[in-house]
Amino acid sequence: MTRTRPWRKVLIALFVAVVAFTGYHAVRTVSDAIYWNAHRDEPIERWMTIGYVAHSYHVPPHILHQALNLQPAPDHRTLGRIARQSGRTMAQVEDKLTYAIVHARPPYPPPGPPPRPLQPAPSPKP
Amino acid sequence: MTEQLLELLTTYGLPALFGAMVLAAAGMPFPSSLTLVVMGSFVAQGELSFWPVVFAGATGAIVGDQIGYAFGRYGGRPLLAAVTRRIGGAEKVEQAEAYSRKWAGWGIFFSRWLIGPLGPWINVSSGLTEYPWLRFIALDVAGEFLWLLIYVSLGRAFSDQVQTIASLLGNLTWVIVGVLVAGLLGWKLFAKSSNGETAPESDERTATKR
Repeated sequence: MTRTRPWRKVLIALFVAVVAFTGYHAVRTVSDAIYWNAHRDEPIERWMTIGYVAHSYHVPPHILHQALNLQPAPDHRTLGRIARQSGRTMAQVEDKLTYAIVHARPPYPPPGPPPRPLQPAPSPKP
Repeated sequence: MTEQLLELLTTYGLPALFGAMVLAAAGMPFPSSLTLVVMGSFVAQGELSFWPVVFAGATGAIVGDQIGYAFGRYGGRPLLAAVTRRIGGAEKVEQAEAYSRKWAGWGIFFSRWLIGPLGPWINVSSGLTEYPWLRFIALDVAGEFLWLLIYVSLGRAFSDQVQTIASLLGNLTWVIVGVLVAGLLGWKLFAKSSNGETAPESDERTATKR
């Protein structure tokens, strides 16, 4: 014990640092758990697809397709790609989606059914 | 950076997942837990199937682990030998190797899924200490498949909140790593140096600070 005094000091410093690090992540784990439990909306990110946003925000996908002026057919592109290909910025795409989501939720009347002709092939509807 | 990588993954699916897992297991900093939870969410939405995702991810991770192992064995070992020849310390290295042989099995298995951030380091150290390759790969396959099963299932179960789940899993993993390292350090500090007299104290300290 006496032989390794300076070495011991380094170990103690390391120990304290590791405990602090662990405490920090423990607090963040708890806050994540609270966040999860409260089920708040996740920020929209560019890797997400329209399907994922609709799934996460619990809104029908067709209102998001409409918001971005896209065909009502399933679209597997990421939002980042949709933004690039339609010449918008990611922030514009996010704004349009957020606007559509807000207007599909409780204070507003629920959105109607998706538009019928999903495919270019005409499907006669009485 | 993270977002661009995830965008590639959502665009290219399983081949991208395989590639990403290879790189992550080989030590590239990469949000692999978020990736797996996102994949699980796509399974829940019916865009991907469960078993192909698990298989592609696990095989990618296993391949990446072999890179670290080979690096340690064929790159690190000769280097270490050269260093010990120059400056000595071969007996210390032997001690470390004996220690590693005793504990590496657990380390390999648990660093696949429970304490993931240590994975790449343990791969290299396993190669460096010539841990038997067949045993390494057996533990590796078991651990990586377990990891994929757990994370993809969690993503599938909580598919509408992937970012929160991934963040929670990431922080929880660091807590486990931290408790382990703090316990090890505390044991070295308080138990080993005073011949076990203050052993309970170190346990208490790590437990209460948690």
